[in-house]
Amino acid sequence: MNRAETLEQLARLCRTGIAAAPAIESSGVMELDCALPHGGWPVGTIVELMPLTTGIGEFRLLMPLLARLTRTENYIALISTPYIPFAPALARHGIQLERLVVIDAKTQEDTLWAFEQTLRCKSFGAVVAWPTTVRDREVRRLQLAAEAGRSIGFLYRPPAAALESSPAAIRLKLQTNQNGLEIDILKCRGARGGFSVTIDSTRLNEEAPSLPSAVQDVRMARSSDHPPSASHFFLCCGSASPYPSCLLKLCKRARSRLPPS
Amino acid sequence: MNYAAAVAVCPQVKMLERNVPSEQCALERLAAWAYQFSSTVILGKTSSHFQDARRAVLWLEIGASLKLFGGFRNLIETIERELQSLSYTYRLGIGPTLEGAALLARAGIRIAITNTQALRSRIRDLPIHQLAMPTHVCQNLVTSGVRTIGLLLELPRDAIAKRFGPEITLFLDRLTGSIADPRPAFTLPPRYAAKFDFDFELKHSEALLFPLKRMVREFAGFLRGHDVGAQTFMLVFEHREVPATRIQIGLSIPDRDPEKFLALVRERLERTELPAHTIGLRLLADQFSTPTTQQSDLFSNTLQNSEELAHTLDRITARLGKNGIYGLRSVADHRPESSWSAASITEKRRSLEFPERPLWLLSQPKPLQLSAMPQITSGPERIESGWWDAADVQRDYYIVRTSNGSDLWVYRDLSGNGEWYLHGFWS
Repeated sequence: MNRAETLEQLARLCRTGIAAAPAIESSGVMELDCALPHGGWPVGTIVELMPLTTGIGEFRLLMPLLARLTRTENYIALISTPYIPFAPALARHGIQLERLVVIDAKTQEDTLWAFEQTLRCKSFGAVVAWPTTVRDREVRRLQLAAEAGRSIGFLYRPPAAALESSPAAIRLKLQTNQNGLEIDILKCRGARGGFSVTIDSTRLNEEAPSLPSAVQDVRMARSSDHPPSASHFFLCCGSASPYPSCLLKLCKRARSRLPPS
Repeated sequence: MNYAAAVAVCPQVKMLERNVPSEQCALERLAAWAYQFSSTVILGKTSSHFQDARRAVLWLEIGASLKLFGGFRNLIETIERELQSLSYTYRLGIGPTLEGAALLARAGIRIAITNTQALRSRIRDLPIHQLAMPTHVCQNLVTSGVRTIGLLLELPRDAIAKRFGPEITLFLDRLTGSIADPRPAFTLPPRYAAKFDFDFELKHSEALLFPLKRMVREFAGFLRGHDVGAQTFMLVFEHREVPATRIQIGLSIPDRDPEKFLALVRERLERTELPAHTIGLRLLADQFSTPTTQQSDLFSNTLQNSEELAHTLDRITARLGKNGIYGLRSVADHRPESSWSAASITEKRRSLEFPERPLWLLSQPKPLQLSAMPQITSGPERIESGWWDAADVQRDYYIVRTSNGSDLWVYRDLSGNGEWYLHGFWS
């Protein structure tokens, strides 16, 4: 860390009492980052994932984030997994196994308890759990725990849960279509839900490349409060990007939101 | 007053039998606890004599501790606060001599007296009974008109020695500080063993928490006195007829925070079914180590966090058991079921190269009933290994896609009749 950064951090510490405030973790999946309101998973929240069946890439979706967290000194926990989390595959996705904790809870009560405990602990960057059933009250409790521990809690629920309401910050329904994994964003804090994105699920197999700077520019422009200017977008598209189609789509969407000039 | 007289005065009176050895034990535990405040702790004797029942004393030399604890008031406040949390009844006196301090405590004088001159003038008017002297001596003195300590101190010493024996003059000289009063200081035992017997059986583990709280706090005081932390300690629950239940409490890093201990104990106790009612409790520990110093950087809270992490993992282990929480490791073996194993969270891993593998593995391959050949997206990958041990496998692995879009990892068993099995999900 250089001196300027340290000073910056100190200034922030004095101002807000929080040492570092990256409130967003990129999901590592371009299409999803673009769809989510601030350009990634918000830290300190519960994310509900409701896959239609097993084996459609519902867990692979989290791999880029989990791998990055373990590489940056964070722990991650998997609680009450439905099957054996296969160590060779996890390692292939770039997860540092030293930073992975697997928790086997026998009862539903223990699962939620362990989920809350790990979320509250600041060493865990993300916690993924597969409880059999969860009630609203419990999700709210987990939400508070995630806020306290500044971690992201991923909650896998059966597809039927999509019909119910839930206090989780983000709710995603996952299914497949002919192009890959289709993510229905039922709810996301900070924007209106009810749209969907499709991810080419074969791309999820490899370790995702780190986001190039151009793409990050787009994310920043999108997350700022005032509507992005059109010139800003031209600039971004001009630079090289491994995701040309995605950027183009993004530009179209952004342009449609701009006031007619 | 005997029991009959007591009942006559107050019919609700409850008789409790006195247990001198356990009183002495309690005093010793307190001495171990008090060691955190002073390097010189002197243990008084518990007298079995009824009259002296309230005279069990514990002395702490505080002159040398004042600076460390931030002054006189702070030290006394800390000691009293901790004592109250242990729920003992006590009286406190501060004086320049051992007997002087004990006398002040007994008389209930809560003024710090730091020189013998002041002590003399302060105790002058106290009745002679307050002195820790044999009862018959006090009685004789009172009948001969010496009712206060001041009067006794004015009497010529040789006359007192002649009448009551030299030990009384020695006592008076030590009280006033005219001669030294050397006594052996209490030394901490190398291992910790605390015992708590109940007068009745305790049914619920909830009720056990109260004595446990006290025991754990005393234990923490002992650890602080030693300047060590404990990584494991043993709780023994004694029952009347069945053998005692032993619970080992383990931590991942040495600690001496009573609240953390209590959280672990509570968690374990909730999960443990005691076979019978409890009549006694013991806390044993004999392995100590230096606790990690709690210093952390202003910006990176790594140390603080690692301690928090250890505590969280400890609590989960206490609740779910040792098998409930583990890490993962890849093993150099081609057979999928042998290419992973559970590992302790802290151990170092070797990085191994594997071909593409699914994230979920079934613990037991599931036989598949195939009506039609599914759509194969990749394969076959032949795995033929393990002839040297009992688990020989000959399989062809395929990745197949079902009609609803999920990717499965299936294999065809080549050693048998070519049945198909599901072994994993590409989740």
